[in-house]
Amino acid sequence: MMRYARPESLDEAVAALADGDATVVGGGTMVVPDMTHGRTRPAAVVDLCRAGLGGIEADGTGWTVGAMTSYAVLERSLVPLLARVAHGITGGPQIRHRGTVGGSACYANPGSDIPAVLVALRARLLLVGAQGSREVAARDFFRDAFETLRRPDELLATMRVPAVELPFGYHKFKLAEGSWPIVTAACVAGERLRVAVGGAAAVPLLLDLDRPSVGTADPAWRDHVRHEVARALSDVGGPFDDVLAPGAYKARIAPAIVARAVADALQAYSGEESA
Amino acid sequence: MTSAPVQEGRIGASPRKRDGATLLTGRALFLDDYAPTGLLHAVVVRSTVAHGRILTIDTAAAEGSDGVVLVLTGEQAAQHAGPVPYFIDPAARGGNRTDIRCLQVDKVVHHGQPVAAVVAGTRLQAEAAARLVEVEYDVLPHVLDATAAMAPDAPRIYEDWPGNVITHNRYGSGDADSRLAESDVVVSGELHIGRTTTSPIEPRGYLASWADDRLTVHASCQNPHQMRWMLSVSLGIDESRIRIVTAKVGGSFGLKMQGHPEETLIALLSILTGRPVKWIEDRRETLMAGAREQVHRFRVGARRDGRILGLVNEITADVGALTAQAGWAMPNMSATTQPSGYAVQDCRIELDIVCTNKPPLNAARGFGKDAAHFVMERAVDLVARELDLDPADVRRINFIPTDEFPYRTSTGLNIDSGDFHGLLDKVLDAVDYPALRERQQAARAEGRCLGIGLGFELTPESSDSPGTFVSGFDTTTVRMSVTGSVTVLTGVTSPGGGNDTGLAQIVSDEIGIPIDWVELVQGDTDRCPNGFGNFSGRSMVVGGGSATLAARDVRDKLVDAARRLMGLGEGDEVTIGDGVVSAGGTSMAVPDVARGLLTRAFAIGDIEPVLESTRAYKPGNINHVPDELGRIQPYPTYSSSLHAAVVDVDPETGKVTLLDYVMAHDCGTMINPALVEGQARGAVTMGLGSALSEQLRFAQDGSLASNRFKSYLLPRAGDVPLLRMLHQVTPSPFTMHGNKGAGEAGVGGAQASVANAVEDALASYGVTVDRVPLNPPAVLDLMDAAMAASDGGAR
Amino acid sequence: MSCPLRLTVNGVPRCVEVETQTLLVHAIREQVGLTGTHVGCLTGDCGACTVMVDGETTKSCSVLALSAEGTEVETVESIADGDELHPVQEVFWDEFAFQCGFCLPGMLLTAKELVEQQPDADEGEILRAINGNLCRCTGYNTIVAAVRRVVREARAERGAG
Repeated sequence: MMRYARPESLDEAVAALADGDATVVGGGTMVVPDMTHGRTRPAAVVDLCRAGLGGIEADGTGWTVGAMTSYAVLERSLVPLLARVAHGITGGPQIRHRGTVGGSACYANPGSDIPAVLVALRARLLLVGAQGSREVAARDFFRDAFETLRRPDELLATMRVPAVELPFGYHKFKLAEGSWPIVTAACVAGERLRVAVGGAAAVPLLLDLDRPSVGTADPAWRDHVRHEVARALSDVGGPFDDVLAPGAYKARIAPAIVARAVADALQAYSGEESA
Repeated sequence: MTSAPVQEGRIGASPRKRDGATLLTGRALFLDDYAPTGLLHAVVVRSTVAHGRILTIDTAAAEGSDGVVLVLTGEQAAQHAGPVPYFIDPAARGGNRTDIRCLQVDKVVHHGQPVAAVVAGTRLQAEAAARLVEVEYDVLPHVLDATAAMAPDAPRIYEDWPGNVITHNRYGSGDADSRLAESDVVVSGELHIGRTTTSPIEPRGYLASWADDRLTVHASCQNPHQMRWMLSVSLGIDESRIRIVTAKVGGSFGLKMQGHPEETLIALLSILTGRPVKWIEDRRETLMAGAREQVHRFRVGARRDGRILGLVNEITADVGALTAQAGWAMPNMSATTQPSGYAVQDCRIELDIVCTNKPPLNAARGFGKDAAHFVMERAVDLVARELDLDPADVRRINFIPTDEFPYRTSTGLNIDSGDFHGLLDKVLDAVDYPALRERQQAARAEGRCLGIGLGFELTPESSDSPGTFVSGFDTTTVRMSVTGSVTVLTGVTSPGGGNDTGLAQIVSDEIGIPIDWVELVQGDTDRCPNGFGNFSGRSMVVGGGSATLAARDVRDKLVDAARRLMGLGEGDEVTIGDGVVSAGGTSMAVPDVARGLLTRAFAIGDIEPVLESTRAYKPGNINHVPDELGRIQPYPTYSSSLHAAVVDVDPETGKVTLLDYVMAHDCGTMINPALVEGQARGAVTMGLGSALSEQLRFAQDGSLASNRFKSYLLPRAGDVPLLRMLHQVTPSPFTMHGNKGAGEAGVGGAQASVANAVEDALASYGVTVDRVPLNPPAVLDLMDAAMAASDGGAR
Repeated sequence: MSCPLRLTVNGVPRCVEVETQTLLVHAIREQVGLTGTHVGCLTGDCGACTVMVDGETTKSCSVLALSAEGTEVETVESIADGDELHPVQEVFWDEFAFQCGFCLPGMLLTAKELVEQQPDADEGEILRAINGNLCRCTGYNTIVAAVRRVVREARAERGAG
């Protein structure tokens, strides 16, 4: 029978993971169906439902988001971008109540909103293990589809999101209401545009873009976006195929999705209708 | 349509669904809610290869696993159970057949085919043990595409067949090829209809209990009487010792018509263990059941004014592996339902029904008829485009004139009634067609891709197929008790649509009693008269017709008894309404009449004291005597509908957004309009799903890739606009109340109107739609193809 | 081997035995014996298994039963007050917002939660609430109409009160 632990604190959770053979259950919305359908057959699970890892703390320099913070809590918070993305999570209130931002980060599904948003926000992830703790940048955390830097004996405890004084925008493209996100783009608009693209590749793409001088429909700026997307894709070994859409399709629409996220950010900035 | 108010509960009113209270409170019992004492759970071990010879099955580890009571292989099963009889035997249609087994014996022909079964004390134990069954295969080459399967050197799925084709048939009359040669224009096209699945939210399930030499099977199924016969044949048990009870069914849409291997299998497992055994399908298993997949290559010839003269259509249908379920036969209706509602007497339709190493097609709402309209609606739009005519006008000039019904089509169908021009007018009015076209021009000027698509759909319903269990009649018993309450026992079943409510309306209306005096019993072969369950929009046509006949018998007897009890003369007019018998200023409550007849039988004279009648109803218009061209006429009624879809297409991503949708529907007399609209909206939404998002995809090894609802995209609330419903009523002359089937119309109309709208939206790109689903990647592919064609100087 | 699970279901404290891998939906249906909660997919996609856990709608197929230790669970059976249907149920019935009824646990509980928590829900919020539930019968129009009416009537009642 599968061993089951329901630790009541971070320390207990870390201790329960020390053997390294346990699957961590956060909200369970991904991991539990995987177990049900035999895609994973863990010898043990560590269930974080009582470990006290939820909640959001603000200070002068940003936010500390507990790994077990649900989308529902997040969408009612003031954490930039993440609150808005949480509002748009697919699957109904049932999933937003249960699904956690830390769980989504650790599951690292390319077709998920969270990884690219954490990258766009320059979040830093605190991993805690029996050997000690370490903080890693979101950009480094996502190694491949469904693979992260987290070791089996480690736990994602919190995500540190620095304050964002700049306008931001988001665009998510799905095939239909019930599909995974196919391509997402999160934009933080400063002197330059920091855009993280999700879904297109196995890991989020990070783009450093010029601001459009005429508008996001400007063909010259679009060429620039296309070029930067293509370069970023080739840096990570090309686009990611899944059952819903071939990688080539994602690569093709990614520049348009980026442009929409940028337009969204610039509109937020200027308060004006963007091209 | 009459605007006179209809009295609550009567025919034409919309009383609420009578099972509402139990469903809304969670008290309704679906199949998985039954858990008799001693229950065991079964899990099916399925093939992990698409095509292969079974070399060995090692069950030792599974047998030793916790809680396991029985592990059964195909070889063992074959010692106890014969082949599963076909719902529609291909041999009866001159086709190739094979024995269908509840567990495969020598060979598997699709990924996921049942090869063994495990029975254990709990589901978790059975699942764990099933993973321990080791099957060794000699893997054979497989083929997943119908065209490839027709190649001479294709892997042979059934080795004793000459190829992989079940049947090749030609349909239609006249001389289509000559008409095409004479035409001013000939347009040709292709239509690839992707593989979809019905996917009711409740999966299939069976609970078999073998006790005292009797077999009782609770099933989530549509056709309990046919299932009883089928189990009797496959298990060699007399029908009188088998009882089938359909539990509350959580949606079906054709999937739960019987013929599935698990029906025989679960019954056999109960016989072998002597305990009740339950099997509930996993969603990944449900999603294997195909609903449609075919390719049409068509040519139509037309005069310059848009009048279509001839049609040639070659259909290649991929039904996957052969099944005893009715699904393999659906493409026949894709052929026979052409040329839909158009007066085209010269048609040549060639149909190949082809097996591949995919899971079987199972019966699905639309039953192949959807594809007939889809291809005709594409053809009509292509003619309009070629001749630069308005698609609405081309429909108008080609529709069967209203004064020509009943109308015999080129394929032999005898369309009972309709007013197709009237439907078109209603829809064009509803969308304000001229204004919409102007809006479209304005949108185009802004760079938006707005499209309008029309789709006509003719839905033959309530079919009868001679020599099969696709029956065009049904039987109902109406029984009044001594208290005046009525029990209706009927052979038709309800998978959720609500025909129980409609039948109660008919019986209460016909007798003249309040609807809440009426109880319905459906889906129990020990209680209900012989019947055929639910399919082909038949339940209100033949269930309603037989209930009417039986109710009228009971009413006649009440009137006769009331005359005697009230001392009336033969000439006095007697009415029954709201539970009261009235005549010439006097009245008597119906319960008093019933009690009088049943308790004073000898006192009131020469009258047979029975307030019960069992009647069968055979609607008109069915004709199985082949005409001079060998055509038969298997449907009494033909519903019709016209659909308009307005879409916006995003040319950057290919995403189609529905802006408006109108359906004008004519199913003759509506017994309960709200239930009719429920059926229509459900069918349209199923069509929208198959037009835009739903597609079963298989990995190269033949395993199902779209195996959950995140990869098989059913429409969700946010995907579906308000589906505006309009009604037209042209009563059928051939049914009891003038009603026509109302369960299927919408699938083909939705596919066609959306496909036509997408092509219209992308007209400036020169796009020709040749496939569904039109998901965003597919739309961009079509735009690329159009671009390549114009770059290549095809003009 | 099994573990005890203590939780409150529809106001009644319960202690049942489950396996460590038992799902909450199966514990409710099989150990507690309330079968109004349905199993449609076991992937968290269809919503037929929806229950309230500590006052929040949850897809109970995606929760280990042991995760619900000590929680208060409410199921579809709790919505009506004895024989008296809740307004959400009455309106769903009036509006033909179900056919086979298999999806109702999710539809009713999300609709009820919406009207209680967001009494000013607009069309977009209504869709966002029920998008997590699949229905294959109705095409959703009548469900949306029912939820819209529930919201409207609740708002009117509040205004009147």
